[in-house]
Amino acid sequence: MDLAFSEEQEMLWKSARDFLANKCPKTLVREMEEDEKGYPPELWKEMAELGWLGLPFPEKYKGGGFRFLDLIVLLEEMGRACLPGPFLSTVVLGGLPILEWGREEQKQYFLPKICKGEAILTLALTEPSARYDAASIRTSATPKGDDYLISGIKLFVPDAHIADWIICVTRTAETANPEEGITLFLVDAKSPGISTVLLSTIAGDKQCELTLEKVRVPRSNILGQLGQGWKMVKRIMEWAALAKSAEMVGGNQQVMEMTVNYAKERIQFDRPIGSFQIIQHYLADMSIDVDSARVSLYKAAWMLSEGLPCINEISVAKGWISEAYRRVATRSHQIHGAIGFTKEHDLELYFRRAKAGELFFGDADFHREVVAQQLGL
Amino acid sequence: MDFLISNEEKAFRQEVRDFIQEVLPPDWLGVDPGPEEEEREEVYHLSMEIWRKLGAKGWIGLSWPKEYGGQEDPAKDWILKEELIYHGVPGMDIAAVQGDLILAFGTKEQKNKFIPPITRGEVKYAIGMSEPNVGSDMFALQLKAVEEADCYVLNGQKTWNSGIHRADWCVVYARTDPNAPKKHLGISVFVIDPKSPGITMRQITQMTGLRAFCEVFYDNVRVPKENLLGEKNKGKDVSMHAFAIERSYGLVILHNARRYFEQLVQYCKETYVNGQPLAKDPLIRNRLAEMAIEIEVGRNMGERINWMISQNMLTVLPSCQNKIHGASVAQKVSNLGMQILGLYGQLDEKSKWVQLGGRMRHIYLSSRAWSLAGGTSEMSRNIIAGRYGLGLPS
Repeated sequence: MDLAFSEEQEMLWKSARDFLANKCPKTLVREMEEDEKGYPPELWKEMAELGWLGLPFPEKYKGGGFRFLDLIVLLEEMGRACLPGPFLSTVVLGGLPILEWGREEQKQYFLPKICKGEAILTLALTEPSARYDAASIRTSATPKGDDYLISGIKLFVPDAHIADWIICVTRTAETANPEEGITLFLVDAKSPGISTVLLSTIAGDKQCELTLEKVRVPRSNILGQLGQGWKMVKRIMEWAALAKSAEMVGGNQQVMEMTVNYAKERIQFDRPIGSFQIIQHYLADMSIDVDSARVSLYKAAWMLSEGLPCINEISVAKGWISEAYRRVATRSHQIHGAIGFTKEHDLELYFRRAKAGELFFGDADFHREVVAQQLGL
Repeated sequence: MDFLISNEEKAFRQEVRDFIQEVLPPDWLGVDPGPEEEEREEVYHLSMEIWRKLGAKGWIGLSWPKEYGGQEDPAKDWILKEELIYHGVPGMDIAAVQGDLILAFGTKEQKNKFIPPITRGEVKYAIGMSEPNVGSDMFALQLKAVEEADCYVLNGQKTWNSGIHRADWCVVYARTDPNAPKKHLGISVFVIDPKSPGITMRQITQMTGLRAFCEVFYDNVRVPKENLLGEKNKGKDVSMHAFAIERSYGLVILHNARRYFEQLVQYCKETYVNGQPLAKDPLIRNRLAEMAIEIEVGRNMGERINWMISQNMLTVLPSCQNKIHGASVAQKVSNLGMQILGLYGQLDEKSKWVQLGGRMRHIYLSSRAWSLAGGTSEMSRNIIAGRYGLGLPS
């Protein structure tokens, strides 16, 4: 066992922290919340040049050949900085599934584009039921000649409005078991019949209503096997839950540090409020949530990188972090007082993101049910 | 970064599990670690038997120097403790921890005298810290020790002195300099024989019905000078070391609770209400999963601490975090167990109607101690906030 960062991880987080401290000030974060695209293309290009967009992809596709665990280290820094933009959508929801299940020509086509920052991808999974279950997949894909016609409404699709390609989760067969008959398609976002409407969300991130009306997609754009899509979705959800957890752990750490500093500086009753025992105990409890969240994230991410079975560990991590981050952000507000819930302070950025992160790819209740199943209940 | 467990560690864990299976009676539901449950006669006899078997295996003091019967292997020592605790095996005595102190502060003669009987599993120890007016404010202790020509003479009182009525030795903290400028400067530590003339004790019955706590009175008790542990008036150093080696206490609590939790899960799978197992009830599933997550998170924290120890890193902060978390988890397990058992939870182990051997009722009562013993959760929070942790101002 060696829980220290490897040399490469050490370099990665340090350069990420420096880069983001420079290039992603909170003024940019706030600007991008209001911006329609929601990300600065110049920054996206720079991230490609740094090799971030290709981090987990093999070198033969112009990637960095790093592991999922390394990606987690980077995502943590992104969460700390509240980096806006389609990184998680493109790399985790788009790129990793293509790497895992794409045919060689699909990989050759998409992965280098992702690595070079030339293609933004996302995954269209959830629908108006707003649940992550197979029965909710109603968007249909019906064969027509060599093509499929996809129709339906996808909701809460991250970054669909700027995506070049969308991995669309569709139903290709009605079966008694809702987990069968689901197929994933790589859909060109410029196809006729596609429209997106931006949703106004709590974290100011860009999620969309995506309407597909008889969108024609060639059969060759199926990702993986026809009718086998739900197994793939479950895998993608594991990656996504951990990736989001990493962002949340980064945010959690930042909130902790902000709050400790504030408690040391804020004077009331002629002394720093951090000298009061009640504040000290709040902060002590927060430190437990922060540190336990990180080690639980790393454990699950390491197991995933090693190819070990880790459904339980992933749900332990996402289930725990979802609530731990909310607890920390909530307590931080209590300690910061009125300034914390104004737009003039950074804390509110994190508080809103903590809630959004909690909901993304399974909240604590969702993951507790997974753990319950793993317990054999 | 990796969380790899070495083959050597896996093999040793298996060896320990085989040993445990050999020494435990069938259908053993387990007991809490520590002296309290040794107040049950059958548990006491089993604990003495297992203590000696552990000694015969050479497994007591695995982290200790080879010349004192150890293997200088803290990782193995922890694996052994974790397995014993998880399986609810009685026997690992407080002596295993007090030996650490003797090795750190004892003279050569003291080590030679005290350590071999510990590693042979022959002696039991107790710790005398608390007094009627001394709880978390430990350095305010008042038990007086006056130096005479050949001995120290002790007068005063200790309390909550778990298991001393059965112990061969007790490590006692006493005041040797009442005029010291600061109260923590006048303390010394003694290894005393609880059967010394002048010592009387009264067992105090705990809420569980067990009587491990003792109130101990010292009336002109003569303790030989060679039983002074560490330097005179430097007992603070010994006590800080003692707190530091209690750093795994959070994990002890957690692994003990893990066993009870698994019994509860099994109960929910097997118990039918209205034609379906409790395990299918959405509320119960959610609550059990919540506990499972908190236990796993605590284990993850523990892996980090053990790794930090292996790197000789300071573990004050994570140990205090784990102590708080472990106690909280264990108390929640006990509460959840009582909730799920409903009316049955009230019964003691002798009732023919009792479920899960009455263990849930027992830990519901005994777990009050887990956020108090070894430093209260509040003291742990103070330490986290302080200079070894968050560096908040005092």
